[in-house]
Amino acid sequence: MQLTYLEAIRQGIWEEMDRDPTVFCLGEDIGIYGGAFKVTDGFIDRFGPERVIDTPIAESAIVGAAFGASLTGMRPVAEFQFMDFIGCAFNQISNMVAKTHYLWGAPAPLVLRGPSGGYVHGGPFHSQNPEMWFVHNPGLKVICPATPYDAKGLIKAAIRDNNPCIFFEHKYLYRRIKGEVPAEDYVVPIGKARLAREGRDLSIITYAAMVHTALEAAEVLLSEGIDLEILDLRTVSPLDREAIARTVKKTNKVIILHEHARTGGLAGEIVAIINEEAFDDLDGPIVRIAGLDSAIPFSPPQEEHYLPKVSDVVREARRLKAY
Amino acid sequence: MATKRTKSNTKHGSNGHRSRNGSAQASQSPVDSGLRSYSIPDYRLEHPDFTVRQAVEKDKDGTEHVRYEVTGDLSTPVPPIRDSKYLDRKQCIEIYRYMLLNRKMEIGLENLYKQGKVVGGVYFGLGQEACSCASAYALDQDDWFAPMIRNQGALLVRGFRAADTMMQYMAKADSPTKGRDGTSHFGDIEKRNMVSPISMLGDLIPVLSGVALGARLQGRNIAALTWIGDGGQSTGVTYEGINFAAVQKLGLVLVVESNLWAYSTPSEMQYRVKDLAERSIGYGIPGVIVDGTDACQVYDAARDAVERAHRGEGPTMIEAKMMRMKGHAIHDAAAYVPKPMFDFWKKRDPIARFENYLVKEKKWLTVKENAELISEVERVIEAEREIAVNSPMPTPESAEGGVFCEDGCHEIKPKYGMPKVKKGTGGFKQTEAAAHLK
Repeated sequence: MQLTYLEAIRQGIWEEMDRDPTVFCLGEDIGIYGGAFKVTDGFIDRFGPERVIDTPIAESAIVGAAFGASLTGMRPVAEFQFMDFIGCAFNQISNMVAKTHYLWGAPAPLVLRGPSGGYVHGGPFHSQNPEMWFVHNPGLKVICPATPYDAKGLIKAAIRDNNPCIFFEHKYLYRRIKGEVPAEDYVVPIGKARLAREGRDLSIITYAAMVHTALEAAEVLLSEGIDLEILDLRTVSPLDREAIARTVKKTNKVIILHEHARTGGLAGEIVAIINEEAFDDLDGPIVRIAGLDSAIPFSPPQEEHYLPKVSDVVREARRLKAY
Repeated sequence: MATKRTKSNTKHGSNGHRSRNGSAQASQSPVDSGLRSYSIPDYRLEHPDFTVRQAVEKDKDGTEHVRYEVTGDLSTPVPPIRDSKYLDRKQCIEIYRYMLLNRKMEIGLENLYKQGKVVGGVYFGLGQEACSCASAYALDQDDWFAPMIRNQGALLVRGFRAADTMMQYMAKADSPTKGRDGTSHFGDIEKRNMVSPISMLGDLIPVLSGVALGARLQGRNIAALTWIGDGGQSTGVTYEGINFAAVQKLGLVLVVESNLWAYSTPSEMQYRVKDLAERSIGYGIPGVIVDGTDACQVYDAARDAVERAHRGEGPTMIEAKMMRMKGHAIHDAAAYVPKPMFDFWKKRDPIARFENYLVKEKKWLTVKENAELISEVERVIEAEREIAVNSPMPTPESAEGGVFCEDGCHEIKPKYGMPKVKKGTGGFKQTEAAAHLK
């Protein structure tokens, strides 16, 4: 079945709620309205207001309540209307939820999910990619799918996981991409990258919407005889170190591509992993393509300038190939 | 809803600790027909009336210093204990014993600290034992709780050993967190239904609301008790958590411990209402005031709240008035507290008051029985101390692992039974609704 990225997530949550009575949803405007992006559209009719809970505009309460319910053996799925607002619940996530298993041995099987990412002119408070705030928080799994297949398989895996998972849905992809999603039940393992494209000349390590940017660049570069390999991380914490090392050992040249700000970004961590796992295999400097070290501006020409583009990848790939 | 009355109750003109008013006048306004006013049941048998403020004081050399100064009547007599509506002799003695255990455990911790055996500081609930113990005692077996740092007595009531807390303070390998955290920062979701606190204040409130939500989805209305100080209630998450419980009618029981000092800051600099229980009106939930040094008042209010929670009627806020009788932690001599305040509240020591009630007023304990009870508690604490001291320190390597719940580590299952779900008739259909930001 061909599904959009949004429908794949929607179907994944729906199926888990159908399968497991301990799964329930809470968040702002998710009930009768069906959520700002309609991920839970129709859920309240099927599963009832007890399991599809509209909450006050209070992100700390949403996360705290989800966590408390998880301690009683429920599997809450909490929606952030935009992932930009996850900062409002930072203390709950960082100090309460993430540390709970390490400190006192209580599992917290909850999912915090919502739309993130730019390219839709959402402005500085509706376009952010705040995943790094949580990558630096041991105890959380951070998931950023790029395709409908992975989005459905990973949301189901996150709901079934016994740990707190933060699930970033790229809002640019919601209705723009469609892909084949099998009718039967499946999960995609958390913490495993996949090759979005096999190639021999250089590797792009990336995830979420940037996978599609890299794929477009690969088409352009193919005509010039540059064959890109694209590693889609799928999960940004824990990172798939083996897959990172494997692609570096194969192509010996690496570009790391992400939307969020360059300084303190995921690329820095991946560079360190490559140094640890595959330093001797490098035939050139590792290149970073990332957002600017500023907030994401609103106006379309400014946003376009801020965010990585296909032309950035093409330019940097040519440069690195020639190195 | 809070008790609704036609006229606010201002006859003693006090917030219990000082004269100050919110802004609840208006009864004579020409447009008052639509105004509502509320009252908060106040079970106290005294209404202390004094105020703390910053004042400039000169020392011998004439140098000026800013100090806290207390004004008001600090000479009022100690009121009697209010007879409980619910507690019998045996239960009163049991609560009294927990209060003794609480205090003797903390004396034990102080001694361990002086012997250099404690890692970090020690936090005390001195003067607050009635509040911690009697409120926790009001819970039923299946209810949940989460203590704040001064509620170490509640842990004893709920079945933890004094050695558990002592080992936490000494960062021992056998402590409930195996050395990973200290103080009362531990929990147990299997047997004792306790959520571990974190150091940030107010964050337990939405969590306990969520615990009650989880239980309700499994078909059970439970009570979920936590405490917050007059300092901690200033946080935004306090509002979010109470409001969530109020909207969802969850069985949160919130004891607001008005202990007058938040570290070194007096309550006058934390909030502007007369009594923190007034906040309950803003949440649309019942709020009551009790004397936090009177175990019977604390128990009765907590029990009413617990039963309300069990009936599925939603949260309750209980303000317990008392004073923190030591510094914030052991390093803090609380020199900023005006001495007359210590003198006033020392006369209201919750254990001395309850002892007097049981031995002299009620004659439920003879002097001899009381002395025996006290030495039994001392023997228990000494034995617990031995266990705690003899536990080894954790190995360095035990810092590793356990970040995630791995396969086979825990089985997640609903605590009160699988939720019974009803499903609508509609199957999955793709949505075509309009969405935000395309």
